[in-house]
Formats: sequence, structure tokens, C-alpha cells
Amino acid sequence: MLKFIPFLFFILFSLSSCIEIVDDLSLKSDGSGTFKYTVNLSSSKIKVNSILALDSIDGKRVPNIDEIRQKIEQFVKTLDAQYGISNVKVEENYTDFIFKFQCDFTSVLTLQDGLKQSIFILSKEKSIPQLDHNWLSWDGNKLVRSIPEITGKKINEINNSDIELLKKGSYTSITRFDKTIDKFENQAAQLSKSKMAVMVKTDTYRLKENQDILENTIYLGLSKN
Amino acid sequence: MKFKSLFLIALIFNLSILFSQTSEYLIPKDAVTVFSINNISLLQKVSVDELISYDFMEEVHQELFDGSTTGKTLKDLGLDFDQKLNVFYGKGLKNEISGFSFGVKSKEQLFTVFDDFEMLHKDFHGAQVYGSFFNNLIIRDKSALLIRVEPTMEFIDQMTDSIWYSRGNESPFDYVPQDDGAIMDEEIYDEAIEQQIFPEASDDPNVKNYYELRDSVQLVIQRNQLDVILHELLEKKQNLIAFDPRFGEQIQHNSDGVFYMDNSRNLEKASGLWYFQTILPTLYNDIQELYTGNVILGDMYFKDNSVEFVLDARYGEQLGSIYGEMNDSRFDKNTLKYIPQTSTGYFTYNVNLRKAYEKAYEVVMPILMDEKNAQIAMNVLTIELLNEYINKDALFGTYKGSMFGFFNGIKKIKTKKIEFFYNEDTFEYGEREAEAEEDMPIFTIGISIDRDDIPEKIMKHLGRLTSKIKNMGDYWRMDNAILDAAPVFLINKNGLLILTNDEDLAVNHSNGYGKEKLAKINVKKAKKSGFMYGAVDIAETLNRFPTDILSPRQNEMIQSLKGKSGKLELTSSETTKSHTSFDINYVYEGKESSAKHLLDLINTIYVVSK
Repeated sequence: MLKFIPFLFFILFSLSSCIEIVDDLSLKSDGSGTFKYTVNLSSSKIKVNSILALDSIDGKRVPNIDEIRQKIEQFVKTLDAQYGISNVKVEENYTDFIFKFQCDFTSVLTLQDGLKQSIFILSKEKSIPQLDHNWLSWDGNKLVRSIPEITGKKINEINNSDIELLKKGSYTSITRFDKTIDKFENQAAQLSKSKMAVMVKTDTYRLKENQDILENTIYLGLSKN
Repeated sequence: MKFKSLFLIALIFNLSILFSQTSEYLIPKDAVTVFSINNISLLQKVSVDELISYDFMEEVHQELFDGSTTGKTLKDLGLDFDQKLNVFYGKGLKNEISGFSFGVKSKEQLFTVFDDFEMLHKDFHGAQVYGSFFNNLIIRDKSALLIRVEPTMEFIDQMTDSIWYSRGNESPFDYVPQDDGAIMDEEIYDEAIEQQIFPEASDDPNVKNYYELRDSVQLVIQRNQLDVILHELLEKKQNLIAFDPRFGEQIQHNSDGVFYMDNSRNLEKASGLWYFQTILPTLYNDIQELYTGNVILGDMYFKDNSVEFVLDARYGEQLGSIYGEMNDSRFDKNTLKYIPQTSTGYFTYNVNLRKAYEKAYEVVMPILMDEKNAQIAMNVLTIELLNEYINKDALFGTYKGSMFGFFNGIKKIKTKKIEFFYNEDTFEYGEREAEAEEDMPIFTIGISIDRDDIPEKIMKHLGRLTSKIKNMGDYWRMDNAILDAAPVFLINKNGLLILTNDEDLAVNHSNGYGKEKLAKINVKKAKKSGFMYGAVDIAETLNRFPTDILSPRQNEMIQSLKGKSGKLELTSSETTKSHTSFDINYVYEGKESSAKHLLDLINTIYVVSK
């Protein structure tokens, strides 16, 4: 497992040219909610398949699909056992290479702690400094969100040589509430017509260049649908 | 009187050779692969740091790579550039040797780099022997040998086990954890070893644990093996020149460099043959006999912006008779119209498999029949029955043995992807299928065929089983055949069976490339070549070649040529019963020095032959 997480990052970010990530957070007024994270590699099927056909790449062992399944199952079980986390599900599509993860949480703090703890347990690392960082904070009326530092670090490691291809990858961050949104600070963000969701979308190249691009502070109004 | 004078002159001449032997006489007889450069003045400006970065230096470079080489060129090393530089490698059942021999002009200068070496013998049969860890430097007159001898782990383990158990010890391994498929890193592995695998050290410093014993065994074997090699080389004068007259003759050539690889000894040391060696020794001896005389000898010539290798593959009579029959084949002209002018790397291979089979049957079967072993006897019976019952006309009509292939760059191919679309009211999202494009290296491989009805039958029946295989008239299309995403095309016409992932070839050129085919000059070269011809534009092919799909060894080979520009061309002569000649011509562009190209090429051949 120890090398599995770096490998997953490696495979994801070596394919960053054509990766599509959707990070979808639904938050209720009481601070509980649902977190969904989708990784779509369907436009790199050939590359993913060719990597999976190898024993190793860049000195890292390439796991087979059964091993990947096993590790994902292990991750689901570990996360499900964390305080404040429930209904952990992963949908795995190994034909198009689309992975959909979702879980419910009682507060953004338990979500962050649960994810950090699970990564820590499964990685067996003595310490992962990037996990000290909190990427979500919620005070009942204001949500501040960014991307996890560990994701940012890995994005930074992407080779700049294929800029055109990097521009084809995308990262979409959606935040939903059960109240209307009053205002938000990220000027690149879009408000849904229902005014209860805000979305920021960028390509992998811009994200690499500026990791704060997805950062947003969202203020809620008083009305609740 | 005249005769006496002549005799005296000859005697003086021979004695002078005997007592002032040059660097090539310091190549141990156990060397299986040797690269000898005659014109080493070319290398004068090569920095030592650059030299030790090559794979062929990896075994001996550790002690050189300690800062004492910084900023120094080979000239500063005190080398004698009038003598040859000989790089050698050899792997035996008990040890592996590697190193190089060279001429010495200034010992003082030499020891400014080899400053870690301590003198071991002041006069060892006329030579001084120095040592530094596993490396040894031997200086005799004006030549030197840097050699590393390492016993093989199998031999060390065998000896250690033998001593360990003969002393009444039990198994040193208490517990070996089961492999649960977990991917462990070094740290965890080390912990596991410390906790469970490694035998504990004894309280008594005079009693060794298993690994301490093994270290001692390794050291003693290494010293003994080095002693044996040095005695053979310096006392008995059993160097490679004396051991193999073919090398002795080759090294006299007036070329810029000489190459030697003894394939028969490679076979002897092939670890995969241990079963035959131990269980079926007579069969092993017979196979070995078949390979007797199998050696590759080569000359290297530097020209303006090019390096030419002339290689001669020699073999024994029996193997030669098989090769002779195999290469008794007419060139299939049809193949060349399917190679486009735009191809940056292509090859043709022209053999007669039917004749080779018949001859191999004639040569190998008596060897197998002589073996008094039940399993071999059953195998012989099976082969004989298959030989009787199989329709060889159909088999060798389907695959005659001739083939061609080419790489046609990287092309965009159409695939399907899943994309997300968003509801503007809520930003909820759904999935839909969309067209996508991915880069794909384009390969084509084809064989000559007489029985085109056979693949047609196979495809027809497979097409009934799956909708992924479709008859498109001029060709067959197999959807998602590559990595479950890209199609493959099969063209079965004009006496050729062609497999490609190039849609353009299948759709628009199923009868060949017409005017867009390979230029006449290249067609002529391919036709004139013997059983094999290959041409590669290095910049256009190797630099774009998807190394992800290669094995680490193949990758290593490609990497050693990457970043270069120029063209590589391989031609072969007609095969006779005793030899086949190959000519590799490397024409390079750019400002890199000849020395750099030479070292790169030596490195590539070293990696290939190791």
C-alpha cells in the first residue's frame, strides 16, 4: 500500500494532460454534507491500458487491476470506519477508467480528518507534512475552500513539456448549499441559476501555474429552499 | 651465414614482442565480449567523468568516481595513445569479470586518478598488482589492466550453504513472511528483515552468523578467482589472444576498432540452461557442440561523419547448414511497395522457414534420439508424429518466413471518451459519449504468404463470434484490438498478410503505396542486402519511439541512442555454411565529436551484448 498512493498520484498526474477531475461538495446548514470526487481518464484509455500492461514505470511497480480494486476496497473500509464519515461508496469503471468516490460527513472537519487519517493509515508513512493543511473551513455562514496541499504538490511535479496537452485536462470544483449564495470571492467562479451552487473550472496547466486559482470564499444568504 | 642472421633478427623481433607486450595481451581469456579501439587518439579530449558515465564503465567506475577525476581528460590520465584501449566483459558460471586494458605513458599521472589503489604485489610474474576494494590494477611494462572480478551470487550461496550445514548448523532462516502482495518500501522491508529474516549475530565474535559467513566466503572466493585469473594471464600467458586464435587474428586488423563476442561461451554460461547441464549433461554437450565456433567478429572504421561496423557472424558446420538452408530464399519484392517513403524506420527479413525446418530436423533429431531419457524420448516421439501428421505445405505456406515491418511515426487516432455535461440551474452533471483523439505509434508488420485462404478462414469464423471483427472488403477491421481502445487492420492480399494500426494504409493503400512507396535507391539497397536489411532515422524514430512499451533492457538500448541524429543502416551479406556478414553504417549529423559517437555506439553494443 505504501507505494500505492504515490503510484496513484503518479498515474493520475502523468496522465494529467487528459484527466478530468470533478470535486463536488454539498453542504447543509448544520455543517454536514456529501463529498463526491470523480476522476475521468476515459480520454486516455490507451495510455492507461498501456501503463497497466507494464510491470513498472519510472522505477515504480505498476499494480494490476485486481490489486487496484483491492486497495480501493481497503480505502473505502478504512474511511468508513472514521468518526463522522458514513456511506462511503466508490464506483469503478475499468473500461473507460472513470472512478467516482462519495461519502457523507457530519462536518467539514470530520471529512478532512477522516480523509487525512485514512491516507495516513494506508500509506504507513511516519508523517505526511502535506496532510497538516486544512483545505476547508466552515463557520455556518461562510465556507473557505482551496485544494489539498498534497494535490497541489503533485500538480507541481507535472512536467511542463507538454503544455498544449496539459491544457486539455480539467479540474472542476463545485460547492452546493441548501441556502442561496450571497456572494463569493473567486471571480472566475460561476453561480448556478438556482443560486445554490457555485462552480470553478480550470485546466490542468493553469492549475499548475497558479494553485490558488480554485480557492474561493463563499458567503451564504439567509433564505433556505 | 645469411640464414643465421635472419634467424637472429627473427629471434630478437619475437623476444621484443614477448617482453614488450601491449595492452591487448592483458585481456583475460575469460572475456566473452571485447571492444578494442585502435585509434584512441580520438579519445584524448574525452573527459574521464564523461567516460565513467557509460554503462560499459559501470562495474569499474566506483573507485574512479571519487572526485579525483574532476576536470581531467583521458590525456591527463597518462595513457599511451599509441596502444589500443580494450574494454571487455565476461560472465561465467562462477564469476563475472569486467574491465579494460590500455597503454601507460606516465605512471605518475595515472596514479593521480587511481589514487585509492594500494600495492598488493610488487613483482607478480613481472607485473605490479594494485587493489582497491573489488577493483584491481595490474601494470606490466607499458600496459595496464583495470579489472573487477565478482563471484556470482549463486556460487557464493552454494559455497556458504555447504560450509554452514557441514558445520552442523540448522537453517539460518527462522521465519519468512508470506508475500501477501503488499507493495513494501525499503524501510519496511528493512524492518521486516531485521525483525524476522536475518539470523541474529552470535555473542561470540569468533562465531559467525550466516551472513557474516557469506561475506567471508565472498571475499575468499573473489581473491581466489582473481589469483587464478592473474596466474593464467601473467604466469601462464593465457590471455584471450592465446586462448582464441580468431581474436588473435582479428586484433591484428588495421581497422580503427575491433569487436569480439564469443556466442558459444555465452551459451555455456546461460543460466537458463542449468537444467540441461545438471539433468541431461550429454544433451547439453551435444547442444554445446552445435554452437561450437559461434563467434561474432567485427571491424570498425571511422569516416567523415560516419562510423562503419563490419561484423562477421561465424558458426560451426552443423548450425551453418541450418542457416544456409534458412537463407536460401528469394526476396519478396511485394513487401517493398508497402513501405512508404515517409517511414523513418523499417526492416526486411527474408528467410525460408521450410528449408530451415527440414534441415534443423535432420540435424537436431539425431542428437535428441541419442539421449536415453524417458522425457526426451516422449518428446522425440511427439515431434516425429507431428512431423508426419502436420500438413507442412499448409503451415509453411501460411508463414514462409519472410517478413517486413516499419514505424510510421505517431498519429492521432480516434477513440471514444466519456465527458461530463452540466445543468446550468443546479450544476448537477451527467455523462455522454464523445469523440476523442489519442496519440498512437503507428506500426506495420507483414509476412509473405502462399495460403491466404487460411487467415481468411480464421477471420471469417472469428467475425461470426464477435461484432468487433468486420470484413471491409480490402481488409479486415478489428475494433478495440489495441489496449481495448484502438482498432487493428489486417490486409490479406497480393501474397502478403499485413497487420497494422494504420487506418490510412488499410483504407487507402491496401495495394501498396504506389508512387509514395520507398525511394528507388532504398529499394535497391534492401533487395541487394542478404537476408536482412534495416534503416533507421535516429532523430525521427528513436526519439519518438514509445519506450513505455519496451522491456527495461530494450529501453536501456534505445535510451543509449536517444538524442542523437543521423541514420543507422544494417545490411547483411549472403549466408554461407560458415558465416554471415553484417554491415552497420552509422551516419551522423551535428557537432558532436566522433569520439562521443564512438563511445555511444560502443555503449549501445555493450548493452546489447551484455
